[in-house]
Amino acid sequence: MTKFVVKRILYMIPVLFGVAFLVFAILSLTPGDPGTIILGVTAKPENIAALNHEFGFDQPFLIRFFTYMKNLVLHQDMGISYQYRRNVWTFIAEAFPYTLLLAVLSMIVQSILGVSLGIFSAVRQYSTLDRICVVVALVFASIPGFWLGLMLIMFFSIRLKLLPVFGAESLAHFVLPTLTVSLTSAAGTLRLTRSAMLETIRQEYIRTAQAKGASERVIIWKHALRNAMIPVVTSLGTGFGASLGGAIIAETVFSIPGMGRLMVNAINQKDIPMVMGATLFLAFIFSMIVLLVDILYAFIDPRIKEKYKNGGRHRE
Amino acid sequence: MKKSLRILAAMGLSLLMSTTAMAAGKEDLKIAIDADVNTLHPSDWTTTSELNIENQIYDTLIFYARDGQSDPEPRLAESFEISEDGLTYTFHLRDGATFHDGSAITSEDAKFSIELYAQSEYQSSMAEIASVEAPDEKTVVITLANPYSPFLEDVSRQHIASKAYHDSVDEDTFANQPLGSGAYKFVSHAIGSSIELEAYEDYYRGAAPIKNVTFSVVPNTASIALMSGDIGFAQIQASDLAQLQAMPTITIEEVPTSGFSFLSMNTEKEPFNDVKVRQAINYAINRENIVSVVYDNEAEENSNICAKTRFGYSDEQPQYTYDPEKAKELLAEAGVEEGTNLGTILCADKYSNLATVLQADLAAVGLNCDISVEEFNAYIQDLTSGNYDLCALEMTLDGDTQMLEMAFTSDYIGTANNARYSDAEMDDLFAQARVENSDEKRLELYNQIFTKAQDEAVYAIIANPLELYAYDANLTVTDFVLEGDYYLHDFAWNE
Repeated sequence: MTKFVVKRILYMIPVLFGVAFLVFAILSLTPGDPGTIILGVTAKPENIAALNHEFGFDQPFLIRFFTYMKNLVLHQDMGISYQYRRNVWTFIAEAFPYTLLLAVLSMIVQSILGVSLGIFSAVRQYSTLDRICVVVALVFASIPGFWLGLMLIMFFSIRLKLLPVFGAESLAHFVLPTLTVSLTSAAGTLRLTRSAMLETIRQEYIRTAQAKGASERVIIWKHALRNAMIPVVTSLGTGFGASLGGAIIAETVFSIPGMGRLMVNAINQKDIPMVMGATLFLAFIFSMIVLLVDILYAFIDPRIKEKYKNGGRHRE
Repeated sequence: MKKSLRILAAMGLSLLMSTTAMAAGKEDLKIAIDADVNTLHPSDWTTTSELNIENQIYDTLIFYARDGQSDPEPRLAESFEISEDGLTYTFHLRDGATFHDGSAITSEDAKFSIELYAQSEYQSSMAEIASVEAPDEKTVVITLANPYSPFLEDVSRQHIASKAYHDSVDEDTFANQPLGSGAYKFVSHAIGSSIELEAYEDYYRGAAPIKNVTFSVVPNTASIALMSGDIGFAQIQASDLAQLQAMPTITIEEVPTSGFSFLSMNTEKEPFNDVKVRQAINYAINRENIVSVVYDNEAEENSNICAKTRFGYSDEQPQYTYDPEKAKELLAEAGVEEGTNLGTILCADKYSNLATVLQADLAAVGLNCDISVEEFNAYIQDLTSGNYDLCALEMTLDGDTQMLEMAFTSDYIGTANNARYSDAEMDDLFAQARVENSDEKRLELYNQIFTKAQDEAVYAIIANPLELYAYDANLTVTDFVLEGDYYLHDFAWNE
């Protein structure tokens, strides 16, 4: 197991380096320079040139890339943001907690709603409640997030005057964003859990369990659920990782100063150090979460644990 | 069951309490801004949000109502004199004005601030300052290398900051935790979400009526936040106007600006190097229709680059009216046949509606063109490098009328002279206006300039968009400055 974890952590090095190079290259290949973007077209050309020089933007691409990587690896320095002229880490440290809170809250609501209703639907397949669940899930899966967010604002903030429209100062500010993110994604989890459960309960070992007289509760919770959970946990894990990149729509609609808005803004301003810092930070977190999900498999399914012991070939 | 009900009730109650606490009292005001500030450095601002927040924190020597007529008003400077040759500006500071730490504002601070502004890469002042002297505690003397008639306009944008504060803290603190001289003190900045200010009790013009002001970053839902009462004041889009106008609790203010929307023609390329073609295009544009369709009537039709609120504008300067027949005649005279392809209208996404209507107007006089919508930075690069035929856009060259030289003179080809227009007489007229101290003579020069610009149809100017502000009907704003600059000292709650 330890061998597997160490190996996976070592794999992260080329992944992160690849991400860094790709993002840096894409940003450098797109048109525009930070001087012109910050100062505008009415600025004096010498001021634009001076600013670009100060940022080192007049250096060749490879030199800029390796200087950046050297500072990052040797000095843990993410560089100075072009637009704010302050250390990039200041902004990530400020934005990430908001995103993390929103992601955790959404994940909790999504898992509770999606998994429990999914199991329920599968066990009571073709019942009225199952049909209602399937239809409601389809509706929520099809609703665009920004529209749902605006409708929630219209109802809870404008009509009922119960919840704030924007900001991230208290937990009350996170109620509507959490609903916006989790309702649409819970629909997916529900459908996934339902189909995984349906497939599992048709397996022969379930019939065997029924034949030997095990109670329904034991069959569902002990035999079926564990086996059905592998795809669901994968989807929840990667979904959680992705939402740490910023629930951009929810952050935009509800003006939450999280990672999504930080990144979009930095990309528009061609703030390369900021985009690089944020992307690498998130790529690292994402890789860690995927690793955790893989470790979690071992606890859900002992067969996978066996494979990890053999050096980490997994998930065939 | 009972326990969970109690928990639910407690949660509901705490939510209600948090929303009640949110409702602003009469001492507070929340203002929506569309983007966070990058800095609050006195001279290194670039965005409207930055300027509008700094205008509250820092005072200036003089104040200009940007309406083209008013004289500058005294602020930190009680009075000033300009030497006959227009090179020396002497300002006399008032007694009793203090920075937010209580220390007196002296001529050394003014000298330091003026130099800071002159050296800032973020400002594009055309004035060349030879020296700034502080002969005594209350006098500042600025000497220019060359006369520069709009210099007072520059001075009205130079925020006065404390030299002692600058010398005692690091650059980061100086830029991000400002110690100012204006009506409001800086309290805090939560990155990405808000900036809080508090009225400065010892402000020399009297403490501002509204005690606490929060600028909240609300990029997309400011109008909704106004409706719910979460926000008291915001700049809004024309598309939200009808909905907000219908609400009795909200006041709308339409503010004229000198910004202009236009079709730029690359005069280095054929057929736009022919003045008749440019005039024809000007006649082909139905400006009234554009104001209604593209701007929801929230713009003032004007084919002159000089806005009506600007010094130098005159009704005698020619205006282009919608006349497709005349356009066709001019095109025939220029030898441009019906069905000629003019190339492509370049635009950024936000101007694509404008480009579409312009394309239809040109088609109506037999000129064909395509539209190419580019990502903003790519579009700017193509525009400034001259890699385009036609371009639909809006631009603001605010400040003194002299700033319009950026759109016409050869020095600015590659920056703001989008038409890439180069004419020795035009260059000379602007050079004369720059050094002319007599308002009367300047007016005459600008009259010649804008008459010539219209005769030569350098651009096809369409309209001056209005800026729209919506705010709580209980709020009184005594003085709305043009160009969207506002001063919270002029704001008060009714009662």
